[in-house]
Amino acid sequence: MKVTVKSWTGVATWRWIANDDNCGICRMPFDSCCPDCKLPGDDCPLVWGACSHCFHIHCIVKWLHSQPQQQCPMCRQDWKFNNK
Amino acid sequence: MSKKEDLEVYWNKINYAFPILNGTLYSDCTNEEYEEIQEMIVSLGIQIRIRDLILIHIEKYLRQHVVPSFWSKFIKSDVEVKGFQLFKTAVSDLYESVTNFSGILHKLTLLNNSCSDNMPIFGEKDVLLGFKQLLRATLLAQLPLEFQYIIYFFYKVSFNVFDNEYENSDMGDDVMCSGCWNDYSDCNCAYIVKVFHDTNRKLMELQLLERLAGQVLTNFIQMRIESHIQKLCTGTFDVSHIAFLENWLDTTVMSWLTRIYCAGSSKPPPDDKNVQNAISKFKQKLSYYLYHSYTKLRIDQLFNIIIEYPDSQPAVDDIKLCLDKTDLRPTLCKNLQTALETRLLHPGVNTSEILTAYVSTIRTLRHLDPSGVILETVTKPVRNYLRNREDTVRSVVSSLTEDGAGSELAEELAKFAGEGDDENDKEDLWDEWNPDPVDADPKVNSGDRKASDIISMLVNVYGSKELFVNEYRTLLADRLLAQSVINTEKEIRYLELLKLRFGESQLHFCEVMLKDVSDSKRINALIHQDNNFEASNDKITCNGMILSAQFWPPFKDESLELPVIIKQLLENYTKSFEALKGNRTLSWIPHLGNVNIEIEIGVKKLELTVSPFNATLIMHFQDKPEWSLDELHQVMKVPVTILRRKITYWQSMGLITEKSTDYFVLVDGSDANKSNVSTNQVQEMICEDEEAESVMASAHDQREGELQVFWSYIVGMLTNLDSLPLDRIHQMLKMFASQAPGTECSLQELRQFLDTKVRTHQLVLQGGMYKLPKT
Ligand SMILES: [Zn+2]
Ligand SMILES: [Zn+2]
Ligand SMILES: [Zn+2]
Repeated sequence: MKVTVKSWTGVATWRWIANDDNCGICRMPFDSCCPDCKLPGDDCPLVWGACSHCFHIHCIVKWLHSQPQQQCPMCRQDWKFNNK
Repeated sequence: MSKKEDLEVYWNKINYAFPILNGTLYSDCTNEEYEEIQEMIVSLGIQIRIRDLILIHIEKYLRQHVVPSFWSKFIKSDVEVKGFQLFKTAVSDLYESVTNFSGILHKLTLLNNSCSDNMPIFGEKDVLLGFKQLLRATLLAQLPLEFQYIIYFFYKVSFNVFDNEYENSDMGDDVMCSGCWNDYSDCNCAYIVKVFHDTNRKLMELQLLERLAGQVLTNFIQMRIESHIQKLCTGTFDVSHIAFLENWLDTTVMSWLTRIYCAGSSKPPPDDKNVQNAISKFKQKLSYYLYHSYTKLRIDQLFNIIIEYPDSQPAVDDIKLCLDKTDLRPTLCKNLQTALETRLLHPGVNTSEILTAYVSTIRTLRHLDPSGVILETVTKPVRNYLRNREDTVRSVVSSLTEDGAGSELAEELAKFAGEGDDENDKEDLWDEWNPDPVDADPKVNSGDRKASDIISMLVNVYGSKELFVNEYRTLLADRLLAQSVINTEKEIRYLELLKLRFGESQLHFCEVMLKDVSDSKRINALIHQDNNFEASNDKITCNGMILSAQFWPPFKDESLELPVIIKQLLENYTKSFEALKGNRTLSWIPHLGNVNIEIEIGVKKLELTVSPFNATLIMHFQDKPEWSLDELHQVMKVPVTILRRKITYWQSMGLITEKSTDYFVLVDGSDANKSNVSTNQVQEMICEDEEAESVMASAHDQREGELQVFWSYIVGMLTNLDSLPLDRIHQMLKMFASQAPGTECSLQELRQFLDTKVRTHQLVLQGGMYKLPKT
């Protein structure tokens, strides 16, 4: 008997490679989306700061807009986008 | 002449004119003689006294002679014809006796006129009417217990002939007349009809027809109405019968009645108000009876009418009309409820059948009773029953999203979407407002009752929208993962319809799920363009279904160790994905998905779509033809029990056999004639892996997962307080653990949860108190 696999359709879940499960601002899981979004992933991506903390992009942008100083809400260091 | 002698002469003269004073009726007194006598009475000024005295004697005579002689004929007899004769004689004798009074009554009328005191005679305005009133009163005062026997026989015999005559039934070759049951040679019908009309006329004249024969007559006519309705309305629901029946009552039935009341003539005498009144009163009674019998019949058939709705709408319209004319609403509710219970609510009926009948019931009753009250009352047991069936939500959801036959719910869903919000139109209907019927539950807002449409009634069966939507999500997840070719367009269309119904937010998760499916297609296309990926694997087409875990229902926990080449393949896919989507990676769920394989046994080729489990298993048998269950468990990391169950797939395909207990071998090409694959000259065959089981955790499992949150609280409580009853645990959880997800937990749910803990020996239940087991 010879078995030939012609095609294999597997099922997987995707997740962000981050050092935490939840966004420190909105408390939602990273793999979900921020409260303003409906669709996760491409439509509500994560961003990392130079301090290595990461957030939903929409959450940190909103946060920075509301603050006089551009600081990371987790560690209070100056916020810089890290394009890793 | 002395005064005493005078008096005696006067008295004799009065007795001569009114022999009734001596207890007889016959008098030779001529009119001229009487005139003289009356003049004498008036001149003496005693006319009132004499009149009253005569009335007393008339009454006495009736009581002592006429009435007892009449009733003496009413004996209980078993012979119909004898009964017929007795009643005929009774009536004609009575009639004759009354006729014998005519002389007296004539004189008494004259006497009464001379009194001019306007005293009513037995409550009536003249002597004749007063006499009839007196006769009736006296008769009824002596009514014997079993008086109806001979009346019944009389009318039974008569009706039989009467029917025969007016219904022009065909004579045929019968030797016997079907009217009087005699041989044709001495048929008695003509005589019976004559007696019948004669007796009726006499009773009518005496105004006794209704009092004596009314009940019997009514019964006979009601029986005929009944049998007519029975004949007319068996099995057909698509025709309205009301107009036809009303017409039949107006013509046929009323013509019988008129003939009875008018001695055989088909029209009542235009100047006889009594007869006309009697007939119209009788007609009122009969038409009520007609509606009543018809409605009762239809109520008995209501379950079948409902099943055939909307084809049976004419019948429903009839019932609707009749409910207003009768008092059968409570009967309808009770009967239908019983019918639903006995015909639907038992384990032998599929949930989908119950649902179909339920939907039909909703539609029918909504048409029948727009207030919704009957519907609510009648279907309560159905809802309670459906709630306890495990597959109810699943059945509702699948029939909502099904095409073709049995998709009434799908139609209903589409209809709702078409209607939209017509709140404004309703404003204009204020003048069609009707109060709730008296049997309405005052606690329920009538607007709610009316507004609830079929789908929400179905959804409400299960209590909450959330549960329903969750079940839909699970079902959708199963469908999306089970099908190798997914009709996303159709799923999106239904999702849109459901969103209109349940709101965006409830179904947002499902939207993401569908988007995952279409995104996956795009990702697969991109990854197949990735040269690194394609180079690493040239033989197997590898596709991924990439899910957003947060939005899918939880998957059943199952383990499966895939073959090395497949693991390598999926790893490469992951790398390619990571390159495509920065900062993101994949976790594979090995037991989900589907696999296309081709199996060559000797010269035969077999193409199959199977689950990853089945593919892995057969691939292992390719490497090594004999496996013990334990060895398979070692390489596949699947529990032995599940292995044993699932291996049957390949056994049924004839590729693997169990050589000895828990020891399996490949059926080789050499003895391939044993495999049922090779029985025919089938070279290629497409088979579907028939695993219809859901891959999702059931709603019950999910809920138990949520309740697990409480477990640490409960352990804490019991450690500190030793033992607690159920309701204390419930209260304390409410106080301390209410912020936890899964928030509300009913007492019932908690009991179930704790009971599972008792079964798994994590808790001990003693005298109604829960305790931690001693370690
Ligand atoms: Zn966030
Ligand atoms: Zn967002
Ligand atoms: Zn930081």
